[in-house]
Amino acid sequence: MFVGEKVGKEWTMDQAPQYAIDHVANSKKNIFEFEFLNSLSEKISSFFGLTSDSLFYIDLGITKHVFLLFFVSTIVVATLITFIQAYISHKKNIPNKFMSIIEMFVIYLRDDVLKNFIGAKEYRDWAPLIYTIFFFVLFGNVLGLIPIFDLSGLIGKIGYQADMLSKDNILYLLSKGGHTVTANVNVTFAIATITFFAFIGAGIQKYGFIQHWKNLAPSGLPWPLYFVVVPIEFMGLFIRPLALTLRLAGNMMGGHIALVIFITFIFSATAELGGLAGFGIAPFSISLALGLTMLELLVAVIQAYVFALLTAVFIGMAIHVDH
Amino acid sequence: MNPLLTPELGTYVWSLVIFMTVLFVLRKYAWNPLLDFLEEREKDIAESLKMAESAKTDLEQIKDESEKILNEAKKEGKAIVGDSKQRAEESAAKILNDAKAKSNEFLDDAKSKIEIEKTRAIKEIKEEVIDLSLELATKVLQRNVKDDDNSKFIKSSLEAVKVDEAKS
Repeated sequence: MFVGEKVGKEWTMDQAPQYAIDHVANSKKNIFEFEFLNSLSEKISSFFGLTSDSLFYIDLGITKHVFLLFFVSTIVVATLITFIQAYISHKKNIPNKFMSIIEMFVIYLRDDVLKNFIGAKEYRDWAPLIYTIFFFVLFGNVLGLIPIFDLSGLIGKIGYQADMLSKDNILYLLSKGGHTVTANVNVTFAIATITFFAFIGAGIQKYGFIQHWKNLAPSGLPWPLYFVVVPIEFMGLFIRPLALTLRLAGNMMGGHIALVIFITFIFSATAELGGLAGFGIAPFSISLALGLTMLELLVAVIQAYVFALLTAVFIGMAIHVDH
Repeated sequence: MNPLLTPELGTYVWSLVIFMTVLFVLRKYAWNPLLDFLEEREKDIAESLKMAESAKTDLEQIKDESEKILNEAKKEGKAIVGDSKQRAEESAAKILNDAKAKSNEFLDDAKSKIEIEKTRAIKEIKEEVIDLSLELATKVLQRNVKDDDNSKFIKSSLEAVKVDEAKS
């Protein structure tokens, strides 16, 4: 939701929290309507006995976050493949500036994370997953920081004043809801699900199906302890992906909510105390937002790294059971 | 329900599908080729470092060897020069000695020849003296002399000759 949309209208101070939440949440309406997706949603949901008013109704419609997922994945795939293929086919052994950043991350993750936690022998099986998680989350985080769709809202507001009222204009719909995909718990939970299956798969691949589940609890404990250890370990299995989900989504969400709240200081001051107060608070508000954006850039890299690192750690724990 | 925590199964399914697609595409076209490439490059670097190292030791070895060879050559050259000098000195000495010996030989030869000539000359002179004295004696004996006088005279003449012989 683009900031400043309601300025001069019906803004009051108590709107700020809801406004900030709307800025991070997914759009309520689909941006693009595809008939086949709607009928597919109907079919899948009716297979599970769900109706469209149910909470777990599977709506495959292209909401803003789904659209952004396509956007982010296209950019990730295009950027990485372009640079890596150009680098490999050149045979010059000297990466250019952007490629050397990619290479720095790749080599760092390989030497300090993959080889360390998963092992020098097994790491090649899991490296693509870790790298994809890192770069996918990183691009999602960083693209969320660039206010491209706020700009589309502004263009829509200025250029299509009349159409904006119809509420079906694409630019208007694109400005609804946040544009940080990694702040959506459903997205992060999907990636965490893949992590979940990855570390279970890694254990099964190494030890076989039965031995892997036996590995959950350390052997050689007095038998009554197993009544405590096994449930804890089993819960841990599900808590790990949940923690990953909430950590990433929470971090991204929090930063953007704080960012919007800082900006709304200006509007609140204007609404409550007049235009002069709004001008007075603007430098303070903007410098806070600027500093927070810098911090968010750092957080974007750190959270991508943490997600990749923890995935590697969990896979490593499944492979090297002797904790 | 809070819009930030609403389960949107559609978004979840899309996320799974999109992420898996990205994973497979990147795995095939980015990560595996890149990892292979990096491994190869690291191997190359390690190999060339090793090669440089071995080249360095080789070079050092060659340097050592060449120094050794040079030293030997120097020594040999010195030995050759020394040897030939000695030989030259020896042959010079020999030539000198030979020359000395030959000259000595010549000298001795000459001396002995002179000696022989000298004795022959003395002998000839003696014979001449005897002839002369005999001639003289006959001239003196033109007058009559007694036998006594004759024998006396002969005796004294002979003694004189003997004295002369002893003197020479």
